[in-house]
Amino acid sequence: MDIQKNLQAVYDSSLATSMRQVGVLFPTIETLHVIAITLVLGTIAVVDLRLMGYASHRRSAQRLIAELLPFTWGAFVLAVVTGLLLFAAKSIDYAQNNMFLAKMCVLVLAGANMAVFHFGIHRRIGAWHETFPPPVGARVAGFTSLVLWVVVVFLGRWIGFV
Amino acid sequence: MSLDSFITWLYATPLSTLIRDVSWVIPAVQSIHIVAIAVVVGSAMITDLRLAGILATDEAPAAVVRRYTPWMWGALLVLLLTGMVMSIGEPDRVLVNSLFWFKMGAVVTVSVLTWFLHRPFLNPAPPAWLVRLNSFTKPAAWFSLLLWVGVIICGRWIAYAV
Repeated sequence: MDIQKNLQAVYDSSLATSMRQVGVLFPTIETLHVIAITLVLGTIAVVDLRLMGYASHRRSAQRLIAELLPFTWGAFVLAVVTGLLLFAAKSIDYAQNNMFLAKMCVLVLAGANMAVFHFGIHRRIGAWHETFPPPVGARVAGFTSLVLWVVVVFLGRWIGFV
Repeated sequence: MSLDSFITWLYATPLSTLIRDVSWVIPAVQSIHIVAIAVVVGSAMITDLRLAGILATDEAPAAVVRRYTPWMWGALLVLLLTGMVMSIGEPDRVLVNSLFWFKMGAVVTVSVLTWFLHRPFLNPAPPAWLVRLNSFTKPAAWFSLLLWVGVIICGRWIAYAV
């Protein structure tokens, strides 16, 4: 699989070309991307802080997760869709941008952290969802998640500065 | 003193020059600005959706408002400080831009709206005139969310529409 050829094909596509040539398109998609990421980070921060033992607006961590994660996922889908469009527009440049590549790696790490939490300590959430402080595994997962997502924001912003 | 001469003076100050010359300052400050936006938007989303009767309706509105209001004001302070660094560093880009001033107007408007919207729930004995505004709570909560999105849109577009 020739990556460069695929990147070029994406770059030359009519969708990517429109993204570059239709003046308001890139800024509009980018703005939607910003709205999406602030909602991802904003909602995930509430859950992560609760996992770290900081009270939210309800006692149960289980109910908080059930309540907020649909918003987080919805915002994340919007972030991915807009992100793909943004990437397509300047695919060749971004593929060589260290900040972009690092951001993708950290996103994978954030996902892995969520998976470890979900298939690990979250399985027993019925036992600890209303206790303070939460178990160590939950506190580590929450802290790691928060740090990783903040790093994603920094790397994302830095893409335009290298 | 005209705006132009103020901008020229500000641009030439050691502080403004430092902000521009040290390469990591502007991207770092912008990143912190985005993280603070996430805190405000996440808090506003939960609070406004509760006041609109959509989210967490099993929790008293006062409990939700009390949990997130301090975070919102703290994050708004961070936004003001980081915003000032950006404005001082690049006054020629920011202060002549009508989108920037429109954004400032929107920020002031939504901040004042937030203060009035939250006040009845923070004050154990709100004055009668404030209680009478109860009927406006739901539409005001939705309008608040709309304004925050508007602020983000203006913020991103400053870079595109000079």
